Amino acid sequence: MGLNLRETGSTPKVWHPRTAAEAWAYKRNFGPDGVYVAGGTLLRTQWEAGIVRMPANLIDLSGVGGLSDILIGEDGLLLGSQTTLQACRMHALLQRTFPMATDAVRSIAAPSVRHLATIGGNVASVVGDAVTALLAYDASLIWHTGDGERQEELTDWLLTAFQPGSLNDRLLLSVKLPFPDEQDRADSSAKRVSAYHKVGRREAFTPSLVTAAVHGFLDASGTVESIRLAVGGGQTVPRRLEEAEREMTGQTLDAKLLKHVHARIMELYEPREDVFADSAYRKRTAANVIVAELWRASRTST
Amino acid sequence: MLLNRASVGERWRIRPDGPAKVTGSLEYLTDMAREGMLHGLVLRSEYPHARIRSIRTDQAKRLEGVHGVLTYLDVPGLNAFGIARPDQPVLCEDRVRYVGDAVACVAAETPELAARALALIEVDYELLPVVAGPIEALRGDAPQLHPQGNALHRTSFRRGDVEEGFKQCAHIVEETYETPRQMHTYMETEGGLFVPEADGRLTVYSPTQHGFMDRMQLSRILAVPQQSIRVVSSPIGGSFGGKDELNVQPYGALLAMHTGRPVKIHQTRWESVRAGLKRHPMRIAMKTGTDAAGRLIAHRASIVADTGPYSTLGAEVLNFATEHVIGPYRYDHVDVEGVSAFTNNGMSGEFRGFGGNQAIFALEGQMDRLAERLGMDPWAFRKLNLRRPEDPGPFDQPIAATEGAVKVWEAIAECSLWLERGAPAESGQAMLEPWIKTGIGAAFTMHGAGLGVGIPDPAGGRLTLAPDGKIEAAFGYEEFGQGLIATLELMLIEQFGFAADDIRIIIGDTDAVPDSGSTTASRATSMMWKSLRRLKEPFASRLLERAASVLDAETGELRLGEGGIRERAGEALLLTYRELADAEQSPIRCETSFSFPTSPTDRVGAHFMYTYSAVAAKVELNVLTGRVKVLRQFHAVAAGPVMNPQGYLGQIEGGSSMALGFALLEDAVMEEGRYMTRNLDTYLVPTIADQRGAVDVLPIEHLPEGDEHGPRGIGEVGSVTLGPAIAAAIRQASGKWVTRLPVDPASLQETPVFLSEAVNGG
Repeated sequence: MGLNLRETGSTPKVWHPRTAAEAWAYKRNFGPDGVYVAGGTLLRTQWEAGIVRMPANLIDLSGVGGLSDILIGEDGLLLGSQTTLQACRMHALLQRTFPMATDAVRSIAAPSVRHLATIGGNVASVVGDAVTALLAYDASLIWHTGDGERQEELTDWLLTAFQPGSLNDRLLLSVKLPFPDEQDRADSSAKRVSAYHKVGRREAFTPSLVTAAVHGFLDASGTVESIRLAVGGGQTVPRRLEEAEREMTGQTLDAKLLKHVHARIMELYEPREDVFADSAYRKRTAANVIVAELWRASRTST
Repeated sequence: MLLNRASVGERWRIRPDGPAKVTGSLEYLTDMAREGMLHGLVLRSEYPHARIRSIRTDQAKRLEGVHGVLTYLDVPGLNAFGIARPDQPVLCEDRVRYVGDAVACVAAETPELAARALALIEVDYELLPVVAGPIEALRGDAPQLHPQGNALHRTSFRRGDVEEGFKQCAHIVEETYETPRQMHTYMETEGGLFVPEADGRLTVYSPTQHGFMDRMQLSRILAVPQQSIRVVSSPIGGSFGGKDELNVQPYGALLAMHTGRPVKIHQTRWESVRAGLKRHPMRIAMKTGTDAAGRLIAHRASIVADTGPYSTLGAEVLNFATEHVIGPYRYDHVDVEGVSAFTNNGMSGEFRGFGGNQAIFALEGQMDRLAERLGMDPWAFRKLNLRRPEDPGPFDQPIAATEGAVKVWEAIAECSLWLERGAPAESGQAMLEPWIKTGIGAAFTMHGAGLGVGIPDPAGGRLTLAPDGKIEAAFGYEEFGQGLIATLELMLIEQFGFAADDIRIIIGDTDAVPDSGSTTASRATSMMWKSLRRLKEPFASRLLERAASVLDAETGELRLGEGGIRERAGEALLLTYRELADAEQSPIRCETSFSFPTSPTDRVGAHFMYTYSAVAAKVELNVLTGRVKVLRQFHAVAAGPVMNPQGYLGQIEGGSSMALGFALLEDAVMEEGRYMTRNLDTYLVPTIADQRGAVDVLPIEHLPEGDEHGPRGIGEVGSVTLGPAIAAAIRQASGKWVTRLPVDPASLQETPVFLSEAVNGG
């Protein structure tokens, strides 16, 4: 399919920085007339739909060194922002250690898109499907800020990411997934509950309506030791449901608690609706899939 | 025997157009280019309904590199098109009635320049109130979209006295069904190359399902004789009814004639969605009653269709729906009324199934509800009320009798999927994932083929021994992916004994083929078969007579074979077709023309030949999300002999894929006359992941002794029955009735059962 001809103005200039600092300098220089581009898969759909105008300058990140690898750090796995979704999907350690991230990436778009699109781009879009899974792993983001690197909790960044005046000239270098605590790994009687769900309007190659992730541990008696719940989907900015998490922690995961969690998700999750699915459907779906995973875990742990 | 690659053996062939399509090397008409060609674009209306105060094109015309900017003032002939009734403006003069209406068109040296020129055209609109739906359109105070009012067409059919009938009923079911605005979603969007020739003629390379109809319509618009236009129309990257009507051809033709240069137009998907046809959304209210024993007594149906702004084949689609809401059942009293209303929504028109899909969803929904009301097995209920072979058609018209209905019924009754319905296997999964529910349902149809009574429906073809020794088969049919070329080749091999190498197939070129009618309405295979049957004796005997004289032999000693004329008793090749052609002064040629058989009735649109089909489907419902997956399908299709196994299977599988989309996914959502689904990222068709379940197809080839009509159509029927079968399966899985397609997952969601237990136990 060709470009939507009506949306093409003049062709943008494409710049090819070799370092993060150089990329940042371009962005600083161009301001709103320059846009970072990684795989370009999302930008392209936005230009074609006329949602955003093609900028005068594209700052191509594919040549920036060192951003396309998945590295094992001291306390976490570092996903270089230019790592393609396909490379994330095929990475054995990521799959073994953070399977929800692999699940999330697997269900984004279609193979042709996943070979171009990057994990950094998915995060930078704010509403990417991977974000929900990354939240459940308590991920943080490492930015190039012009005068060095800065680490920021993903949850914190999401709170301000869509606000006007947010620091959008920073360059995302990597996504850090912290390795599980020693304690979690040592306690072999703890039962892990970990699942990611994407619900869309069809089975594949579909925007999400709802994304939901649940990650935590139950002890041998079925008490919730730790839990993270994350929800997103569509144009909804993903978020943790920290109130519900706190209310669950230390409680026995029984029918009463499940019912409570279901009700709390319905309250706390505030999805954006569109002509295809209303808020009520999205709330019920998120609550249902999360509680079903908890129920499943509660049954096998006792 | 199930139809598949293993069961058909050598008849499973590599289709002639297969390798080029699979490798991507095939050049479609929209891939064509000419040196020095211009690029055309069409300016579509900004509003669903508005008066045009003025159109100013001066700025656009002044742009360097722009060679033509045309408005209604530049249409030399009839400024309108429409297969049945030409009321759609080529270029709007004073009013626009939908967002796809064309106001101007431009040709420029590059696509970018054309886009810039388009942006420079100034149209001054005065907004008019939007007629956003058919029911609204038919109200007395609605803005009138056409001089004859907002009702494009009304239908009615009555038998007996339905009110009296309902009085006798022990059980009555009343329900209203709604179906979506489905898009054809062919891979190749509309377009073509338009070339003014040195001799003053115009060649149109642009996909259509009926080249001669396009030629006639274009000649009317251009005010030139039909013979001065050549339409080349195949190969086509999918059509499904959506390219039968003119789309961009008028603009390409006008721009090419105006500029004297070749013009290429190829719509983006956005333009295709905006301007193109869709399936008619219908609202069908039904009231159906039986006696205490379950015999149908009275059936009333009321159809309201949204036909959009212009006629195209809206009236014909409504006629078809009116016939098919009666269906393959016996009732004493019937009362059907239909209306197709003009609106400011998108254009509705011809689409595979042609109104049958909507009708059968409603009708089969009634059958399932009545069976349940009676406590009967739904399939036994259908048997009780099923038509007999000698019964007249739905409109009480004489039809070609077959035993298709009962044979299809039996095939479903005996299939493993239907047997499983009665005895669902307990699975361990129900304990582990109690939110997963399964169900099995089935649905039935009799689907008419051909255009029906009252509409010219020509057919025919031509066979020639060409000077180079090839056997040329020329038909006015189109290859849009259905496998027409492969089917024709296999018929020629099997009926005449030719080898594939002996044959040259010529289609899709008005300069080279006879008018065989349209490639629509499940008719092409039937008509090719009939043509070859009529041509066989004259063509074969002329070849043999000529060969006999060349060989100085008796015709009785000869036969047609692979590569040439062979001895009747043996294999010996006596004379190649090339040698025979060389010995002749002029090509040996036979041609036939006839009409698609019709019923002897005055009822416009009534059919004579029917395909009977039913499908059983198993679905899985996840009540957490309300999402439905189709796990398995079994199709039984009674359509006479299978001409091309691969094509037959492809038609049923492909049709069922469209039906799956119709039932579960697809709807071109409109609000106030504007599409909310403007591209394929929001208008979702099934992917392979949505249709992983097996599809079994059982062809029932039996025809009565002496049947003269041969293979029945299978092009549409696969797309008809799966929707209601899925709805029935959902009923078994969830206890909920579906009345609206596509199924809304929210309506099937449930709070997980373990939470209800918590309440009960709590």
